[in-house]
Amino acid sequence: MVVQTKKQVQQDNELLAQKIHQNLIDNNIKSFDIVGAIGAGKTAILEKIAEKLAQKYKILVICGDITTRVDANRIEQYNAETIQINTGRECALNAYHIHQIIKNKDLEKYDVVFIENVGNLICPSEFILGTDKRIVIVSITEGEWVIEKHPMLFKMSDIAVINKIDLLERLGTNLGKMTNDAKKINPNIDVITTSAKTGDNIEKLIELMGL
Amino acid sequence: MESMKKKIMEIEEIINNPENIKTVDLKILFNSFLSEIKNRIASYIGDYPTFIEPVFLEENVKIGDDVLLGPNVYIGANSEIGDYTEISNSIVFENVKIGENLKLENCIITKNSTLNLRNSNLSNCILMGSSDSEDEIMKIKF
Repeated sequence: MVVQTKKQVQQDNELLAQKIHQNLIDNNIKSFDIVGAIGAGKTAILEKIAEKLAQKYKILVICGDITTRVDANRIEQYNAETIQINTGRECALNAYHIHQIIKNKDLEKYDVVFIENVGNLICPSEFILGTDKRIVIVSITEGEWVIEKHPMLFKMSDIAVINKIDLLERLGTNLGKMTNDAKKINPNIDVITTSAKTGDNIEKLIELMGL
Repeated sequence: MESMKKKIMEIEEIINNPENIKTVDLKILFNSFLSEIKNRIASYIGDYPTFIEPVFLEENVKIGDDVLLGPNVYIGANSEIGDYTEISNSIVFENVKIGENLKLENCIITKNSTLNLRNSNLSNCILMGSSDSEDEIMKIKF
């Protein structure tokens, strides 16, 4: 068996991610990798986005979970096509997973691809997937320290979504601190607050994504 | 389901006569069958492999560690997939034993075959028989 070092694995992943990105660009597809912890609201936000955009775009959502297709079933109800990857013991999707799907799909059929990564704030920082943008979603229920405790994903992301602001009054979370932390880690990151439950700022997020 | 069953029986009939295989016809039927596969991974023996759907597992399939199955994979009843093996766009018939560290893409493995072809990477072929060596296995390109 060939044993690769972590560096080699990441280099291979990066090369494949570049190939995926080029393939998506060649087919005029906009693509987004959605990362965040379990329960942050990744699926709920994708449901809202699909609900608003399914008439306008042909959407493919690739869902990563260690097991089940619960998230894919939820999103499918909003007229987006879904493909589930069950990663088993792996805590993040990698470019190889995505490549296996992309190379078997007629990409001309799609306008937008979303990849909902496996729920956690650590492992997905190891692997880029070849999308246009990475969006990291946290919720105020995770505590106001969640961003400063997980800098890598914020460093690698283009948009930070702070979700569940409908609970702000009850929880008293320091939103200013969360926004400042994200900006301190990555000055170029766009920060937006949302509520997937009430739909607050979802339109604004869609705009920020350029859709 | 009925259409899937019909197609898999037709594929089996074709590969039962290896001398007379018309590869063009087989390829059309193979692709048509794979496009009909729906995900069915509810019951298997093993610990959490990686599945890229659709993957269809018949009864009593045994899957080793760090296996990657999919997309577009059908595994017949009582077949075994060894550790670190990866299979995509392929049909594995029943009672097949696939060993460790094998990569299969666009392949058909006939029933009762045993492939212990460690570190091999095989694509676009029908594989039949039992062997520990790639040179000894019966291989028909398609």
